[in-house]
Amino acid sequence: MSEAKTHSIDISAMQRSQKALRIEDETVCLSVNDLHLYYGEKEALKGVNMVIPEKKVTAFIGPSGCGKSTLLRCFNRMNDLVDTCRITGEINLHNENIYAKGTDVAELRRRVGMVFQKPNPFPKSIYENVAYGLRIQGINKKRLLDETVEWSLRSAALWDEVKDRLHESALGMSGGQQQRLVIARTVAVKPEVLLLDEPASALDPISTLKIEELIHELKNEFTIAIVTHNMQQAARVSDYTAFMYLGDLVEFGDTNTLFTNPEKQQTEDYITGRYG
Amino acid sequence: MKMKKKSVSEWVKSGDPWVWLNAGAVAISVIMVVGLLLLIAVRGLGHFWPADVVEANYALPGQPAYNIVAERVESVEVPAAQLREAGINIPDEHELMQRTLMKTGNRDVYGADFRWVLDEYLTDSKRPEMLFTAERHEWGNLYGYLKAVKENGQIVSETADLEPTDSALATWQVFEKSIDRAARIHEEIKKIEKTDIGRINYGLERIRLKQRSLELEGKLTPAAEADLAAERSQYDEEYKGLQQSLIDLYGEINRDSFIVQVMDGSVHEIAVAKIVHAYRANAMGVPEKIGFYFVKLWEFLTAEPREANTEGGVFPAIFGTVMMVLLMTVLVTPFGVVAAVYLREYASQGWVTRIIRIAVNNLAGVPSIVYGVFGLGFFIYFLGSGIDQAFFPEALPSPTFGTGGLMWASVTLALLTLPVVIVATEEGLARIPRNVREGSLALGATKAETLWRVVLPMASPAIMTGVILAVARAAGEVAPLMLVGVVKLAPSLPLDGNYPYIHLDQKFMHLGFHIYDVGFQSPNVEAARPLVYATALLLVIVIALLNLSAVTIRNHLREKYKSLEM
Repeated sequence: MSEAKTHSIDISAMQRSQKALRIEDETVCLSVNDLHLYYGEKEALKGVNMVIPEKKVTAFIGPSGCGKSTLLRCFNRMNDLVDTCRITGEINLHNENIYAKGTDVAELRRRVGMVFQKPNPFPKSIYENVAYGLRIQGINKKRLLDETVEWSLRSAALWDEVKDRLHESALGMSGGQQQRLVIARTVAVKPEVLLLDEPASALDPISTLKIEELIHELKNEFTIAIVTHNMQQAARVSDYTAFMYLGDLVEFGDTNTLFTNPEKQQTEDYITGRYG
Repeated sequence: MKMKKKSVSEWVKSGDPWVWLNAGAVAISVIMVVGLLLLIAVRGLGHFWPADVVEANYALPGQPAYNIVAERVESVEVPAAQLREAGINIPDEHELMQRTLMKTGNRDVYGADFRWVLDEYLTDSKRPEMLFTAERHEWGNLYGYLKAVKENGQIVSETADLEPTDSALATWQVFEKSIDRAARIHEEIKKIEKTDIGRINYGLERIRLKQRSLELEGKLTPAAEADLAAERSQYDEEYKGLQQSLIDLYGEINRDSFIVQVMDGSVHEIAVAKIVHAYRANAMGVPEKIGFYFVKLWEFLTAEPREANTEGGVFPAIFGTVMMVLLMTVLVTPFGVVAAVYLREYASQGWVTRIIRIAVNNLAGVPSIVYGVFGLGFFIYFLGSGIDQAFFPEALPSPTFGTGGLMWASVTLALLTLPVVIVATEEGLARIPRNVREGSLALGATKAETLWRVVLPMASPAIMTGVILAVARAAGEVAPLMLVGVVKLAPSLPLDGNYPYIHLDQKFMHLGFHIYDVGFQSPNVEAARPLVYATALLLVIVIALLNLSAVTIRNHLREKYKSLEM
């Protein structure tokens, strides 16, 4: 535990001293081309173009209702569940359009995992929560499940806390633990992308810190996109930041640059707290 | 005046009247429920108490006196004028008279079990210790004095005394032993008749049906016929052996008889085999009576009915009720859940769905007898005869499923309770938090997998609530059952040792119908009335137990899936 903590602090210290990252140097994981999204008549995303770089943390910031969560939910087609939702444009995951006809949505969601604002463990044991995604894929070999559960819980820095009560209900855990369990559950299926939708907003400061440390750890293996209301959090955890406003992507770039030297007046107004 | 007015309005404003009104409504409901239960409990459970037998002299004015031996049943006050109109010569000074219903028994001798007497004219009332009550397999209770016990027509013990002298007690003991012996033989006979001969009959019937079906298919070759004949002769052989032992047992059981002197002094000889219990209530102490009470209560719960259901137990009815309710639950739960899942999860929520939902809700309000008629018309006459034509042609023209039975009764009740389960399940599904479903979907589960692995388990307490309501409604339902398979007396239980063990086509008994039958269709209403109360109490208890078990399961599930508070 303490080891991981010092390690993560090192990383963030290193990061701050780094020079600006250049998006052109990155491998593209997800690319968004002219994405429009309508809820009935209302246009919630007005032609978004951007790329999400591989194995980096990309943060989405912006005032409530700006469409950042909506955009995030486009990456694993969660918006399909909303009846009135209509989408034009493309999102490519490694050059494959996820909105193409005949896309296996379940398979897409396995490749693009998502963690929600509120911890949502299933009313099952801790073990079964983590094993859920594997069981869905038809994996029932006990040894493989055991290994994956341990690996996932270790990845989510939860193993030491729960290893003695794996078969107790997940609902008995604290909110912070539950959220890390949800992250463990998501990484257990080894997705390519992790979408985090305000993962720490329902948690206390200590739990929030743990989640942030975890994000640092996880970006070595996963491409991460995180939506947050908390600009300090975005500044702390992300490599790239996108600022959205009323369905438009206003500015997207290296986090250090965006926070210290934004190009757009709107961005500056928002990060300096003049509105939002 | 002004002050008072103000205080009243203040009192109203304070909200106290509402509290009183609400508390009053609750109190009245509780009192009504408790009162109802107490009434049926007292009336019903009193029946099993071994009542004292009174011997007295009874003489109405201007009529000859006679001796009466009876149990007191109930007492009412009647106006003397009414009695005078009935032709009884009552002196003018009386205005109200106490009238008592006496159970005199001995229906074979007097033709009626009960008679009303006026307490005023009962004299010399006493409770002799040697007076005994005998419950019989037929003809109701017998009251009288034991005079002698015979074995093979030879007197083995006799007494002239009506008092508890040594000789009288000795004869009584011989009598009791003889009854025990007869009871044991009776058990043996019943076992052979029910179990062994029942099995043989079942086997013979199966052979007959097999032969008939081969005949219908045109495959009845001489070889097959010989096989069947061999099988049949095997059963016949077995049957002959059993019949011989039955004849022997019947000879044994009819060995003893006894002589009894009844209230008018006449003497009768009766076979001991006809007696179920005999006891001298007047000579019993309270502990003995309590012991006997529980014996009778146990008999009520475990024995079969006798004498057109007015005596004996109600076990087949308990069994039929529970079995039917369980079968109904097994049918209605999956069907209701599947329907609710489709309505809530898959159907597009347009006006068609809304109309279907309204229709489902309204189905819950359709009178149950309408379901009975539907069950008879559709399930039995249409589906049942179709099944008979297709699968049981060998049994025709006697119907297998083309007549009322356990299965059709359960199906009809399942249909009746379906709306309850659908509505409860839909509400349960609606309450599952969206984020839990999304959590599952985000892990690559399909909608069906999410439903099956996460949503339905979480909705299971709500489903159980629906099942509880369904059980409560189904267990108490009588009207539709009368049309689809309940009978007043079913010779065998729908579950036995003969393949296929559960006989879904069989007719069965039901506590609710039993109450109706005993109370209103019985030849001896007076004798049966306490049984009506006892059976009603039992029905309430059975329903309460069924519900309680469902509630326990639900609470267990709630505990397991209590994440709804998130």
